[in-house]
Amino acid sequence: MRLVAIDEVAQTCSLKRGQGLAEARAMYPDIDVFDEDERADFALLEAIADWCDRYTPLVALDGKDGLFLDITGCTHLFGGEEAMLRDVLARLFQMGFYVRGSISSTPGLSSAISRFGPGGVITREDMSAALGALPVHALRLDEKAVASLLKLGLKRVANLMSMPRAPLARRFGAQLLMRLDQALGTNEEAISPRRPVASLSAERRLGEPIQTEEDILGMTAEIASSLKLSLENRGAGGKVFELVLFRVDGRVFRISAGASRPLRDPKRISGLFSERLNAIHDDLDAGFGFELLRLNVLQHDVFDDLQADFSGEERRETSLADFIDRVSARFGAGCIQVYQHRQSHIPERAEIFLPAIAAPERQPQCSETLQFLPRADRPLRLLRSPEPVEAFAALVPDGPPQQFRWRHVLHTVTRAEGPERIAPEWWIDDENAKERDYFRLESELGRLFWVFRLGRYGDDPPPTWRIHGVFA
Amino acid sequence: MAHAAAAQEKLFALREQIARLEGRSLPAMAAAKMESFVSGSSGEERLSFDIPALDDALSGGLPLDCITEIRSGSFSDAGAATGFSFSLVGLMKARKAAAGPMLWIADSFSSGEMGIPYAGGIRQFGIDPRAIFHASPRRLEDALWLAEGALESKAFIATILEVHGNPKSFGLAESRRLSLRAKAAGQPLFLLRHAGEEEASSASVRLLVEPAPALERSLPDGSMLGGSIGHPVFNITLEKSRNPAPLSFRLEWNLDDRQFHLARDPGKSSFHKWPAHSGASLSASADRQDRPKAVGAVVAFERAS
Repeated sequence: MRLVAIDEVAQTCSLKRGQGLAEARAMYPDIDVFDEDERADFALLEAIADWCDRYTPLVALDGKDGLFLDITGCTHLFGGEEAMLRDVLARLFQMGFYVRGSISSTPGLSSAISRFGPGGVITREDMSAALGALPVHALRLDEKAVASLLKLGLKRVANLMSMPRAPLARRFGAQLLMRLDQALGTNEEAISPRRPVASLSAERRLGEPIQTEEDILGMTAEIASSLKLSLENRGAGGKVFELVLFRVDGRVFRISAGASRPLRDPKRISGLFSERLNAIHDDLDAGFGFELLRLNVLQHDVFDDLQADFSGEERRETSLADFIDRVSARFGAGCIQVYQHRQSHIPERAEIFLPAIAAPERQPQCSETLQFLPRADRPLRLLRSPEPVEAFAALVPDGPPQQFRWRHVLHTVTRAEGPERIAPEWWIDDENAKERDYFRLESELGRLFWVFRLGRYGDDPPPTWRIHGVFA
Repeated sequence: MAHAAAAQEKLFALREQIARLEGRSLPAMAAAKMESFVSGSSGEERLSFDIPALDDALSGGLPLDCITEIRSGSFSDAGAATGFSFSLVGLMKARKAAAGPMLWIADSFSSGEMGIPYAGGIRQFGIDPRAIFHASPRRLEDALWLAEGALESKAFIATILEVHGNPKSFGLAESRRLSLRAKAAGQPLFLLRHAGEEEASSASVRLLVEPAPALERSLPDGSMLGGSIGHPVFNITLEKSRNPAPLSFRLEWNLDDRQFHLARDPGKSSFHKWPAHSGASLSASADRQDRPKAVGAVVAFERAS
C-alpha cells in the first residue's frame, strides 16, 4: 500500500506521494491513513465541476484532481481575469477546499503553473519564462520519460527549451515535444467539455436566495422571457430545456424538460418545469435556497410563426401539444405514446408505440397506406405475448379446434373463421420459424378470440396452439 | 319591492343550479338552449344512437359532457367492453364528422391481463389509430391526474379511462371531481371499468356490456353467409340513467357504416347445418347463344308418329 495523497502537515514532514505505507508508518507511527475511494473522489470532482458551470459552460476534468475552465469571453462578467481567479479560489476556499489555480493562454501551462508553480495570471509574454522555471514533472509526461530526463540532469523545463528539437524527439519520443508545444501554445490543445454546450442560455444571479417552488417557477418564466427575444431573432423555438439551479452551498441541480413542438412562450416553458418539479419534488432539496438560476436551450428547432385564426382548431392543436409536454415532463416521455404502423405482416411487429413527444409532426397523413392495408380481421386487444392454450379436437390438417382451454377456463367453439396464414419473416426470425394459422373462434357466450396454430401437423414437434388477442 | 326582486333572482339562480346539477332543463334554460340552437351551436350535446327505444331511455341520447361508465362483469368480457367504448367514439366521429385525437388512459393491470388496444382492430372500428394517444400511467392517482388534465385541456374529443375492479382511491369524491371537470369542459369521459361491481358514482349513465354471439356476415344480395362471424354484437344493460327500470338492448355495431343497429335474435345459426353439397339451386341452362344451330331452314317438322 502506498500513499496517494497527503495533507499540508504531512508535506512539511518530508512524507511523499507514492511512498510505501509501512515506511511512512515507521517514520511517523501516529499518522492517520484512509483508504482511497476513487468513486467518491470522482463524484466530488464532478460536483465541483458542476458548481464551476456558473463561470463558463466549458468545464473539463483534468486527471483525478483538476479542472479546466475555458473562460474565453467570460472574464469581463466577473471583473477581469485577476478578479475572476480570486473569486473562484475564494469561493472554493469558503466551501472548504484548498485550491490552486492559474489563468493562461493554454490548458497545459495553466495546469503546470497551478500544480507546480506560484499560480496566478500568466500573460502571453511571460509564458516561456513561467514554464521554464518549472520542473519537468509539470509537462504531464509519463513517469518513464520523467525518470530518464532526470537521469540526464534535465530538471527544469528551461533546460529542454534551450535544446535542439530533433535529438530530443529522437531520444524521448514525440510526446515530449508535443507537451512542450501545447504548453507554449504552438500546438493547439482542445479540452473536452463535460456537457454539450447549450445553443442559448440565460441566467439570473440573485442577491437573496429563493427556496419556494413558486419563486423558482416565477424566476424561470422571467429568464424565459429574456430568452424569447434571442429565440425570435433566430426564428427558432426550444425543444429541450434545462434549468440549472445553483444552491447556496455549492450543490447544483439540473432539471431538463422536453417539448413536443418548439416553444417560445415563457409561460409554457415555466409550465413544463412546474410538472418536472412536481415529479422530482422529493429529490429537490432547496436547503438554504438557490442563488443562481440558469435556463439552457439544449435543442432548438425552427419555429413556424402562424397567425392565429378565429376558429378554435389552432387552439386545440396547441392545447394538445401543451398536454403532451406536461404529461411527458411529469411522468416521462414513455408515458404517453402514439401508434406507429410498420411494414410487417406479423401482428405484433406491424403496430408499435412511439413516445408522443418524439413522434413526427401529425400532418394530414397519407391515407393511401390505410387503403392498402390488409382488410383481414384484427383483434381489438392484443395480448403482450401469445399465450399457450390447450386445444381439443382440432380438425386435421387445417381446421379450428372444437374446444380450447385458456387460463384454466374451457371455451366451447360454436363458430370459427379461418385459417389466415401468416408466414414468418425469415429475414428476422429464422429460416426454421414456423408459420401461424390464425382463426377467429367464437365461444358459446359470444366471446371472440384470436387463436393460432404454430406449425403444421406431421412436423416434429407437433404444432401448438396459442391465443393472441380478443375481439370485441 | 327591489328586495323581493333580488330574492326572486336568487331563488331562480339556485333553481337553475340544482337543475344543472341534476342535468335537467328549466324552462329558462330550455329557452336559452333553443336560442343557442338557433344560433348554430347546441349547448348540451347528446349522442343519439338512432334507435328510438334506447334514445328515449337516455332522454335523447348519451350526454357528452359527463362521465359515462361502461362496466364489464369479468375480465373475459373486456374485449366487448373495449369494443363498445371504441364504437361510441366511432359513432361520435361519424356523427359529428369531427376529426380530433382521442386519449386512452390504460390501466396497467388490465393491459397485462387482456392486452393493449391493437391498432389493426381499432382501424376496423372506423377510428384512425394515429389519432389515438395511449397513456400508460403507473398508478391510479396518475391516471386520474391524466384524465383531469385531458378534460381540462379540451384537446381530445373523447377520453377513455380504464380501471379494473372498484379501487378505493377512485371513490365518489374523485368521480365527482372528474364529472365537474367534464361538465366544465363539455367533453365526454368514458370510464371503462373491467370486472367491477356497481357502485355509487357521479357517472350520469352506467352501462353494463356483455358479449353476444355475432350475426353472420351479410352478402351483397341481402342474404347471410352461413357459418361466418360478422359485426360485433353487444348486450347492453342500462344500469343507471334517467330511466327508472334497467333496460337491455342487443346492439350490433356495423363496422362499415359506423352505426348501431338492434340485432335480431340469432336464432338459427347455420353452422354445419347445410349439407356440404346442397345441390343445384340454379336452373339448367338452355337456349344459350353458343349452341350450334341446326343447318338449313326448317321446311317441315318430322312426323311425330
